[in-house]
Amino acid sequence: MAQSEPGPTRNWGSPGLWLGCMLAAIGIIAGLAITDAIGKYTAMLLLLIPAGLMFPLAKSSKQKNTACGGNSAAQKRYTRRVAIFTSAYLASFALMTFLQEAGEVAYALRVVLALLPGLAILGVLWAVGRLILEESDEFLRMLTVRQSLIATGLALSAASIWGFLQAGDIAPPVDLYWVTIIWFLGLGVGAIVNRVQFGTWGAV
Amino acid sequence: MKNRLKVLRAERDWSQQALADRLGVSRQSVNAIETGRYDPSLPLAFTIADVFGMRIEEIFQRE
Repeated sequence: MAQSEPGPTRNWGSPGLWLGCMLAAIGIIAGLAITDAIGKYTAMLLLLIPAGLMFPLAKSSKQKNTACGGNSAAQKRYTRRVAIFTSAYLASFALMTFLQEAGEVAYALRVVLALLPGLAILGVLWAVGRLILEESDEFLRMLTVRQSLIATGLALSAASIWGFLQAGDIAPPVDLYWVTIIWFLGLGVGAIVNRVQFGTWGAV
Repeated sequence: MKNRLKVLRAERDWSQQALADRLGVSRQSVNAIETGRYDPSLPLAFTIADVFGMRIEEIFQRE
């Protein structure tokens, strides 16, 4: 039986392009939300865009790493875990928005619905932690640690500055999940710093 | 720290990927070490020395 030729592989483009799009999307949504140009639920709904952009970003990174002989077993596990938890986030968030739009929701159900997206995000954070523990390549592990530290520094700095501005009645109160969003944005900034300093984006 | 990784690799006609496979690390790691952007840990430096059949100080020197 004749074997068929493998089809042409889709080119997912540069990870930098997708990363830039994701950062820009988060920045624009954050700007619109902070200036009250859009409401809370609209902002949360629009955050599905950068979450969705994680898919082509992961695909293009994987393609680039494969071309460089990269993609360790730990990275593959990380990509799979992030895909699962991001999907869980999108599904739980869609369900929450749908039920809230549908009408009155019981308190207990509201608690469960509000916890689900948060737990899914917790899963992504766990996946980053597992990547650091499981990556056997010390250079790639260092890149991930640097990214995480940059992200943590940015998130805590933003939370501290905004918190004191809020305490001084200068800035409006914002929902706490923005700290996590800034942390993910910080991972992107960390990847750029890695690229500039070490010539590679890293695994996250 | 400077190193002779690139020269030693060229002498053996190994690509970065071939050396990375022998070391059990990524090609990015080899590239970062070669270009002096990253100094390997002592265990990895010993592995590099073993792969080239040399002593660590024959491959890595202080600036």
